[in-house]
Amino acid sequence: MTPQYPEASRRAVLAGAAGLAGLGLLTLAGCAPDRRTPTIPKSAAVGTAARGGRLRIARPAASAAETLDSASSLSAYEYLGALYNRLVKLDKRGTTVPDLAAEWSANADGTVWTFKLRAGVSFHDGRSFTAADAIYSIEHILDPDTASPQGEVLAAMIGPGGMTAPDPLTLRIALLTPNAEFPSLLTAYQCYMIPEGSAADIGRTGIGTGPFRLSSFEPAGTGSIEAFDDHFAGRPVLDGIDFYSIQDTTARVNALLAGQIDLISQTNLDYATALVVSASSTATVARAADAQWYTIPMLFTSEEFSDQRVRQAMKLAYDPQVIVDTALQGTGSPGWDNPVPPDQSVFLNERREYDPDKAKFLLKQAGREGFRTEIYTSSYESVFTPLAVAYRDAVKDAGIDLVVRNASSDSYYTQIWMQKPLMVSYWFTGRPIDQLLNQIFRTGSSYNESAWSNPTFDGLLDSARAEMNDDRRRMLYQDAQRVVIDDSADMTPMFGDRLVGLSRRVVNYSEYGFEFDYLSIGLRA
Amino acid sequence: MKASIAPAMLLIARRLGIALLTVLLASFFVFFAVQALPGDVAQQLLGQNATPEALATLRETLGLDQKVWIRYVQWLSGAVTGDFGTSLVSGNPVGPGLLVAFRNSLLIAVPAMLIGVTISLTLGVVAGVRRGRPADHAISLVSLVVMSVPEFMVATILVLLFAIAIPIFPAVVLRGESATIAQLLPAIWLPVIVLTLSMAAYIVRTARSSTIDVMASEFVTTAELKGLTTRQVVWRHAVPSALLPTLNVVALNVAWLLGGVVVVENVFNYPGMGKLMLESVFNRDLPTIQAIAVVSALVYVVCNLAADLIALALDPKLRTRRKARS
Repeated sequence: MTPQYPEASRRAVLAGAAGLAGLGLLTLAGCAPDRRTPTIPKSAAVGTAARGGRLRIARPAASAAETLDSASSLSAYEYLGALYNRLVKLDKRGTTVPDLAAEWSANADGTVWTFKLRAGVSFHDGRSFTAADAIYSIEHILDPDTASPQGEVLAAMIGPGGMTAPDPLTLRIALLTPNAEFPSLLTAYQCYMIPEGSAADIGRTGIGTGPFRLSSFEPAGTGSIEAFDDHFAGRPVLDGIDFYSIQDTTARVNALLAGQIDLISQTNLDYATALVVSASSTATVARAADAQWYTIPMLFTSEEFSDQRVRQAMKLAYDPQVIVDTALQGTGSPGWDNPVPPDQSVFLNERREYDPDKAKFLLKQAGREGFRTEIYTSSYESVFTPLAVAYRDAVKDAGIDLVVRNASSDSYYTQIWMQKPLMVSYWFTGRPIDQLLNQIFRTGSSYNESAWSNPTFDGLLDSARAEMNDDRRRMLYQDAQRVVIDDSADMTPMFGDRLVGLSRRVVNYSEYGFEFDYLSIGLRA
Repeated sequence: MKASIAPAMLLIARRLGIALLTVLLASFFVFFAVQALPGDVAQQLLGQNATPEALATLRETLGLDQKVWIRYVQWLSGAVTGDFGTSLVSGNPVGPGLLVAFRNSLLIAVPAMLIGVTISLTLGVVAGVRRGRPADHAISLVSLVVMSVPEFMVATILVLLFAIAIPIFPAVVLRGESATIAQLLPAIWLPVIVLTLSMAAYIVRTARSSTIDVMASEFVTTAELKGLTTRQVVWRHAVPSALLPTLNVVALNVAWLLGGVVVVENVFNYPGMGKLMLESVFNRDLPTIQAIAVVSALVYVVCNLAADLIALALDPKLRTRRKARS
């Protein structure tokens, strides 16, 4: 059986020990900037960057099977945004904005979409980007042999022969059913544009239209990219970026503190480590605000959570602000069980109540007074266990008695996730609203981690897709959020800032959702 | 006829047979233990992205839909001819990659062993000879402390001291498997020190206690009565006898070193066999795990064999018998 909390994992102990030792050492060495309680900076350093220079990024490689083919589920994420562009991308508020497509429009019922492509865009090999490349790229994603995570989503909408190119800079896509949010589905990080006919070797060549071109790449090893002078949006500030694979989180932090690398990507530092890093003289911490969406799925198919009263009680019983303050030490924002981050334009700004007495009453009604069950966590992610413990403590007032169980991290998403009735989990934010609600909450979706099913909710999503008026569509999505808050089986206690370790030499770092600003990031002059 | 075969040869032949069996059994148990682990390579690779269709496709491509027994026999017949198959994760042959990783591990393990054994035997003998004196107390205390601190802690402290506070050594190896020996050399010192420290303590303690035993034995008393100086008694008589029981500890330590390498290599991102093993287990990359198991079993067996042979050479009884026959 899995050990019961408290039994800290070896890694957690190590990180904690490193943190303590580090704090002590830095103070001894006299290089801590000040003697007050160390704090984590709110925003990344901005300023004038020196022209040129090479940035060194440490990344946790997925595996030796990784590839530069963005459509694949085994893609080397950090390279993609530097090498390629999509047709469209999301801005900070979740609105679809131009990338390689300059503008787009739909027919009256949203079944035919026409994208006008940006002129004068060239690939790293000198070829011009045209509609034929766009069709080829999307067909590559749709190809069942690619097994792209976004393939299933798009295949439900684009039939064979659905894409045409009336002229080299116009792409027309006919959909099987109306979808007013179709362009947003092309913002996924699997939808980067590649040259026509390149699918077989794109995984090694990485030829795209992005601000950097590939000079070397080794799966799960090192790689380098160089500034692409002919990038349509101008040359990036840096001359190049070197990527290094470091699997162990502690090793990545050590490399940063020792000045061997400048940035740790795709790593949410735990709070203690983040304090050590921000107190050091060479490195600091920047935040990708609300980048981590933490969830507590209650398995809808389990006996206890099939009862709406129990689900509702589990929500009413806790105050998310308390969870943010304890589990994240304030480095995030409360979710109030709405999966849409507060900074998104479709966000429903209605807060559910916090009422432990009502929770107690509902449980009594459901015949589950003094409800007792287990909540699973793991060292898979640094905030999981603090979240589980904070939630356990928060719901005590409502008479809910939770036992925290720690499961092995390497089988957490195969043995616990979608199998145990109650657990903690997370996703990255950055999904467009249509994909977020359809993928994680719709009946039968393979990513629906609570197995929740609600016909009213599914109907609202369908109505939203058919609604071409932006304001009315936003209201439908807000109605859907209301259903999620009231009835769904997936709690959203909070959104966490990703605490990113970087060198004090780095300026103009900016990252949100699946967007990383590779053009402006640079090294201090 | 039988009498003409030296007992030493018989012993070696029997040892070799046991060694072969050990390696075979190790491969067998590891194969089925990995099967028993939750999750397979397909699930591990696709992770949270996995859809049932994608999983089924990947399993089929990797041949995971075949029976376990058939896969073991297939693997074994390949391994006997030196073909360890291809990695399920990278699709590259396992052999060459493992060879590089093994070489890299040797690059830190061999210096650690040479330095560790030399220093700790010396310290152990000194402590044993000076039993109860301040030198003995100091050595015993320090080795006890070092023995109690796990390697990852020692590694972290060393990194904080010698890579971050006083940047003499790199904290991690940035280059992966493609790193050449020249590129690795500056980075091997911290791992070597960690391995040396974690290994030395055990040897010091065994060497100390066997030295004490030997120093109390009758032949040492005889040697002392004969009028030999303490130095002669210790180096001529006591040390060779005290080495005998220590040898097995050293051999066991080498095997244990392989385990320590896993932790140390990960902390330093060192591209050796330990790091390869952790990644392969995490990914359920069976062919790579199997090959590593066989190599580890071989190292273990060879070290023990070597220890036995050296013991044979050092054992006065066996030595004299052999002399009498030739």
